[in-house]
Formats: sequence, C-alpha cells, structure tokens
Amino acid sequence: MDPQNDLAIPSGLRNPADLFFQKETIRRTIIASYWITILLALPLWWHTTSIERLPLPEARVYHQVDKPISIPVRLCLPQSNTDLSSRLQGALSARVPKGLEVVVESGNCGTEKDTYVVSPGPKKIVRGRHLTTPFDDLEGLTQTIVSLVAPSDVEQEKQTRVAQFASRYRLAFSLLNEDASSGNGVMSWDVQKGIHQQIQPLLDVLKPLHNFTIESQVQFYAPLEFDLRPTDSGFGLSYEDLTVFINSAEWTLSSSASNDPVLHFILFVPSASHTPLRIIDSKSSAFILPQWGGVSIYNTPSIWSTQQLSDRGLQRAFSTFSTQLSYTTWHSSSPEDTGLISQWQLDALIRRRMLETAKGTRDTLRSFIKLANQLENMPVREDVRNDIEGSLDALEKLYNSASTSLSQSFAYSAEAFNLASRAFFNPGMLALLYFPTEHKYAVYAPLFASGLVPLFVSALRELKAWKQQRAQSR
Amino acid sequence: MLLSRLATVFAAVTLCRAQISEYFDEKLTVTPLKDGKVASTLAFTTLLKNASPRNVERLHDDDDSQHYTLFPLALGQILREYGVTEMHLTLNAGKWNYDSWGHPVEPGVGTGAELWAWIGDGALSTVDARWKGLRNALAGLFCSSLGALDELRTTSPTEVFQPEGSLPSSTPHQLRHASHPSEHVCTENLTPFVKLLPCKASAGLATLLNPHRLFDANWHGMGVHVLWHEDEGVEVRLTFQTVSDPLRNYQARKQDWSFESLFGRKVERACPAARSSIVEVSLPQDSPYNLSPEPTLAEKDVAWFDIQPASKPVDISMSYMPDFNPGLAARLAKPSTPLSVQRTLKESSQAHGQLSVVLKNHESYPIQAVYLETMPWIVQFYLHTLTATLDGHPYTSAFSNLSYIPAVPHSRPSTFHVLLSIPANSTLKVTMDVTKAFLRYTEHPPDAQRGWDLPPAIIAPLNLDTNRMYTPTLLVDLATPDFSMPYNVIIFTCTLLAFLFGNVFNLLTRKFVVVSLKPAPSSTIKED
Repeated sequence: MDPQNDLAIPSGLRNPADLFFQKETIRRTIIASYWITILLALPLWWHTTSIERLPLPEARVYHQVDKPISIPVRLCLPQSNTDLSSRLQGALSARVPKGLEVVVESGNCGTEKDTYVVSPGPKKIVRGRHLTTPFDDLEGLTQTIVSLVAPSDVEQEKQTRVAQFASRYRLAFSLLNEDASSGNGVMSWDVQKGIHQQIQPLLDVLKPLHNFTIESQVQFYAPLEFDLRPTDSGFGLSYEDLTVFINSAEWTLSSSASNDPVLHFILFVPSASHTPLRIIDSKSSAFILPQWGGVSIYNTPSIWSTQQLSDRGLQRAFSTFSTQLSYTTWHSSSPEDTGLISQWQLDALIRRRMLETAKGTRDTLRSFIKLANQLENMPVREDVRNDIEGSLDALEKLYNSASTSLSQSFAYSAEAFNLASRAFFNPGMLALLYFPTEHKYAVYAPLFASGLVPLFVSALRELKAWKQQRAQSR
Repeated sequence: MLLSRLATVFAAVTLCRAQISEYFDEKLTVTPLKDGKVASTLAFTTLLKNASPRNVERLHDDDDSQHYTLFPLALGQILREYGVTEMHLTLNAGKWNYDSWGHPVEPGVGTGAELWAWIGDGALSTVDARWKGLRNALAGLFCSSLGALDELRTTSPTEVFQPEGSLPSSTPHQLRHASHPSEHVCTENLTPFVKLLPCKASAGLATLLNPHRLFDANWHGMGVHVLWHEDEGVEVRLTFQTVSDPLRNYQARKQDWSFESLFGRKVERACPAARSSIVEVSLPQDSPYNLSPEPTLAEKDVAWFDIQPASKPVDISMSYMPDFNPGLAARLAKPSTPLSVQRTLKESSQAHGQLSVVLKNHESYPIQAVYLETMPWIVQFYLHTLTATLDGHPYTSAFSNLSYIPAVPHSRPSTFHVLLSIPANSTLKVTMDVTKAFLRYTEHPPDAQRGWDLPPAIIAPLNLDTNRMYTPTLLVDLATPDFSMPYNVIIFTCTLLAFLFGNVFNLLTRKFVVVSLKPAPSSTIKED
C-alpha cells in the first residue's frame, strides 16, 4: 500500500507524499467540507421546495368532535306537583332523541323566554308556547309532548325528503307546457298572487332558519322523454315514470348564478293529446322528488278559452307547492291543525337543524383533518386555516350558549357549518395535488447522482484509511 | 265633482305604477347579394316593458323576485347578479366581405368572440370583478371559452362603442370590451342560444335554426344584445346571421333559394308566444324573379310576409329566370359600401414588422372615420413611424384626435384611436412600424407555431349613416423557442456539472503515489 516507503527516492527528486497539498489532513478537510456544504444546503432546499401547509388545530378539532351537544328543553307544569313532574321528566328523557335534554319543573313558572307551559284542560289546544291538554294518563301526555317537542322520530323514508341545510335557498317556480300549440297552452299565470297567498306565510315563519330567493318562469315547449301509458280514462304515469319525469336536457330549469341550492316547483300542463294525465294508483296528481323539489300536474279542462291559469287552478297548484315546500324544508307530522305552524314546531325544527348542522360541522372538520394528513401534497393556506378556526370558535360559542338562547345558538351552529364547508371546498387546495413524486426524482437524479458517487466513495475510502491508521497506531 | 276628480287622480296613480309586461317579436330578413349569395338575419326580440336595470348601489342587498314569462330567466339572473345595463356578445366565424356583401343588418361581424358591456359603477365590488364574473357566467351559459377574455384582451374604447340604448343617469357607467379572434363557433353554442327563446326550436322562425346548414354557410354568427330603453324597458335581442351560397348546392347555374334550400327546414307552425312573426325579403332590382307565396305587403324593393296566422307550413322561395352571370354583375356594379378597408401586417423578421391599412373612398365627398385598434401587447407600435400616403403621395393632414394608451407587457393591450379624413375618390394608406414581443416560455399556446390571432380593427365612419366596420383578423408569427429545450437544458447542465465537478474534485483530492516500474526487458542482456 505504501510502496514509496520501500523505494529509495533518487536524490534530486522530491517524495510526492511530502507535497504540502498531499497531507492526509488536508484531503480529509476537503472531503469533509464538501459534505458540510451539502448538509448546510439541505435545509435551504427543503424550505424552498416545501408546500405551504399551515398547522391545523388538530387537537382542538378532535376534542370538539368528541364533545356531545345537549340542548335543553324546559317544560313547566304550573298546576301540578313535583311528583308528576319528576315522573314526566323520566318518561320524556327516555323518549326524546339524543341531543335533547328535558327538564320539567312544576309550580311557579319563571319568566324565561323559552319555557313551555303545559296545563290541564278538556281539549288539546296549542297556543304559542302554551299547551292545554287533558292530563288523563302519563303515557298519553308523554306522547303528546314528544310529538310536539321532537317530531322527527318517524320513518326513515320521510327523513330523506328534507333538503340539506343551507342558509339561503332559491325557490324556482316553473310553469311547463308540454306543447303550447296543441290547443291548450297556458300562456301565463299570476304567480305573484299565488306566492303571496300560499307560499309567503310559510316563508315568513321559516325566516329565522333560512333566507329565500324566489324566481319564476314559463316554458311553452317542454316535451317528455318517454312515452305515456294510455289508460282507460286518458294517460297514466307509473312509479318508474315518475323517477325519470324530469327531462333536464330539454327543459331549461333554473340554475342560479350563485352557489345556493335550488328547490324547483313545477306545474306541468300536458298537451291536448295527452290530457288527462294521472298518476296510476294514486289519487293525487303531484309528487315530490326528494331534496330537489316537487311536480304538480294540471289537466286543462276540455273547454279552454282563456289562456291564463284560472284562479282555482292557481290556488290548488300553490297549495300543493306549499305542502311540497314544507316537506322539503322540514318534515311535519303534527296532529294539531291550528294554524300553519306553531311555535312548538318551529322550535323543534330549529333544534333539529341545530343538531344536524352541529353534527355536519363536526364531521366536516374531522374528515378535513384526516384528508390533510393523508395527502401530503395538499397546500393549506391562511384563509383555510382561518375558516377552520372560525368554525371551531363558533362551535365553542354554540356549546356555551346552547342552554341560554335557542335562536342565538342556532345562528352559531349555522355559521360553524358554513365556515367548515367553505374551508373543505376551498379551491386553493388543489394546486399540487396530483404532482407525482417520480417526477421529482427524475429531475434530481441526473443533476446530483453523478456528483454524489465520487463523494461517497472517497469519504468511505478515507474513513477506512483513518480506521486502519488508528488501529495501527495502537 | 270632487269624487270625479279623486277618481281621475286615483286612475292616474294606478296607471303610473306601471305593470311589467313582456312582448316577443321575431323577424327574418333575407337579402340576395350581388355575387349570388344570400344573407339572412334572424332576430328574436324580447321586451320587458317598464323594467329597469338593477340599482348597482344595492347590489349586495337581496334582489327583488324575478318573475318572467317570455324573458329568459338564465340571462336575467346573470344580468341582475352583476349589475349590467347593456351587453353585446357576438360569436362569428368567417370573414365578412364588405365589398361584395355590403353592410350587415347587425354590425358586430368581427371574427371570433367579441363581448362588450356597460357596467354600472358604485357597488361594493369593482367593475373589473363584475366584468370577470359576467365573462365566466356567459362562458358557462353559452359553452364557449369566454373566460379567456381576461385582462390580456380587455380595453375600454368609449368613443367607438357608445351605448346603443340608454344608461341610467343616476350612476356612472364604465365600458369593458374584449375580443378573442380564435374562438370557434359550433353547435354547442347554438343549443343554449335556442334555449333562451320562448318557443325554442319547436315553433315559429326558430325552427329554421338547423345547425347542419347554418354552420355550413360561408359566414355565420350569432349575437346576444341586451339594451335598456328608458321609455320602453329592457330588451334582449338574439340574432343569427348567415351568408349562404345557393349556387353551391344547385346543378344549374341559377341563384334560386328557398327556406328548404337555405335552412333545410320549413316553418311548420307559428309560435303562440310571439306578438309578430315577419319575414322581410329584399327584392332584386336588375333581373326578373318569381317570389312565392304571395307577400302580405310588397313595395318596390322590399316584400313582407306575416307568418303569424299560418295554417300550413311556410316555405318562401325565390326563383330567377336567367342563369346567374357573376362576372357581369360584379364588374359593373360599384363596391357595396362607400369605404373599403384592407389591413395587412408585413413581417420582415421575427422582431419587426409593418402594419399597413389601405382605405378606399368610393364616394364623391370626403369621409371622416375613426380607426380603432386594440392590439394585444405582443405587437407594439412605434408611434413615431405613423405615416400616411394618399394615392402614392405623402399626405400629412390625414390624422387628428389621436389617442394612444400604450400596452403593458404581459398585461394590458394597447388602444390606438385616430380620426382619419379620406378625401373623395381616393386611396389612403396608413403605415406604422411594429415590434413583436419575445414571449415567456409558459405564455405560448399549445400550437405555438401557428401564430397569434390579432383582433379586428374597427372603423366607425362619422358622416355616413352606416355603423362600424370590422377588418379581418391577422395572424402574427412570433419567435417560438425550441420546445424540447428544457430536456436539452437538463441534459446539458447535468453533463457540464458532472464534468466540472469531477475535474475539480479530482484535482483537489488526488493522491500522488510513487510506483516502481520493473526494468524494461530490453535493457538486460539475457545470456543463455
């Protein structure tokens, strides 16, 4: 290995091992300095090629997600004793769904705003937040109160009809003529009157929950995509036909210039050759498409002189629309018939929407955190983090105020839901989502691979020589 | 007495609270042109009487409910969402030949997509933000890439594009104009266009919109125009113009045309929602012809047909007696317009060029015309080289009222606006040197070697009663790089890096050792 030690260097010539730059230490310093430069440059490379991912408040999200929410419902029986109230509380707590907490007091009812008063009486009357009902037996009383406080525990099928919560809905009323030139075209309708009479009261009641934008249009040629079945008295629609009734390709239904969900209400006038059109095995001539809206069929009378929808037809159509709207925004199965919607039902709806949005918010936040952890390539920017924090703050405020004011806590839960959705669907996160790592290696390899090999080999060689030297010197 | 006075006051008050009512008119104008072709213009006008555009100051409050019978709801939503008072969108394909075809019924015949709008100022969102929203909403509605009309193509030439209707005097308005010459028009744009009509393509004159024949024409273009007339209301006019060639499909050399030969369809039934459905045919003056069926009203040079009370399918046809002789007719006739314009770009190298515009005045009085050029930043003008020659001799008094907004590279186009005066019966040639830009690597389109389309220049004559004229688009060839260069650069850099690094590292860490060499066999004498 060291042949120069054995050889005699002729005089006049220098031993190359004595050259100043051939010292072991200098060579080792040079190799070490290469490696130190690489190590110092690594953080700079990491910083310049990393995606902006701000830290998300994960712990806070998981903590919030696990916290259960409970909305108190306060009942007061002014003319009873504590025994009845405690038995009633027990019975109700067993019957109400999770998330509601029933507190029954007796005796002197306080002047708190949200307390419901139940007093005995001959008939069942609901007025405002006051219920008068016969106190015959506990079971019947419990049943009555549960149907007013939490009427949503009915069949699953009716639950799916209700549209998902949104702060603003667009209601689009369309009058569709299948063929206006076949003789029975309805050319116009007094839609503003119909809305004012039948729909507006419902919208005014639902004002604390949603905002509504209304628009309407008339179409003169709206053909159906399928053939109608002839029946003995005209034409009929079977259940399968109802599922494909909406011909979205040919009918220009309303699609808004904004992101709000649209509920469509269609009054369909079949052409003169297809009149009368009925739904087979059903007495009504209207049907609901879940979470989309409803359709009502209007068969023009055989003598059709004016071309405007008659008052009777208008009134019938809009009362159908009103029912369909109520089914799509909330499900109602109240046994009472006094007035349009009572304060009990509205409160029950607010509570139900509050639970739904709180659950939706928690689900959205949890899946967002999971997504951000799974996709390393997804940038998370300032506005997304602000939305998440804002949503968490609103959830916090919701938990704190759930026991005090119903409308205030509903506002918080709606705000939390909107912010969480906005953060989840933020388009700025898509930037580098599909950047494959193979491309990164393909760009780095030709640049650095050829330079790293001699560095590695020389470093290893020097290390081996150093170890040998140390072993020898011992 | 008092009661009758009260009654009149009450009646006046109810009449003042005018109701919004809607009217729909359709009209087809057919004009045989002197070179044998036939120009047809379909115009569908919906009037929303007594309506007014949305007050932009309250744009962020909730809007009133929109209830329409004939007016298209999709378009109404877009207009109210962005507070747009007047809007014109045209999508055209082909080159309009003013010399042979004269002036079109609708003046917007620039090739490609052209969108200009007067938008009210004063809302919380800026005019530019709402302009962007309007472009994207229309792009979604008409399935065309109008979102590409971004700030690289948007200018504000207020003197040429004056509002065609009225603007509300309470709010100031700004103009935004953008043009995209490489936009193609196809059936995908026609389908949503037809959906905006009350009777769609099932009844009325809209049944003639047969995409197979329309897009086969020599020139075709569709337009959407929204105006507000102060005493009338909001008007939406949907137009479709074509120039078709009946001589192409006919064995004999006759320029006969009919609805069947032009559009491939007849008007089967009338639209019940239309207030009027009129076909207007320009009658030829110089050759005998036969027009069937009988027109409702006929004058010397125009015939009108009212097809509203049609009981059987309507097919209007015109047949000529003699064969068509294109040479004689075209040569003897004067050019169809008082002014002829030709614009060319002479490119001598990849860095410089010369823009030349030749304007011919065929009339016997001088013409004053505004010349507007909205050139993208890739072609920049040298304004000091602007010269004019009249019939070959230098002419110094051609220009006046020159206004020039220079381009901002990578951002804004230049707006060049000058008032030209062309003397009678003479040819004015305007030239200007231009320089072509060197684009960044990422700004080249996918088919970079084709070149870039330059939007048409607009000439608006002042003392004629004609509307503006559009020159054809130009194609400019910019310097394109070798697009395989990134690969070459990577390979070259890696090779160089490896070479340099290897050399330097070797020099620094080379170890010199003394090696003993065996003596050469020839130096020792082997003795056997």
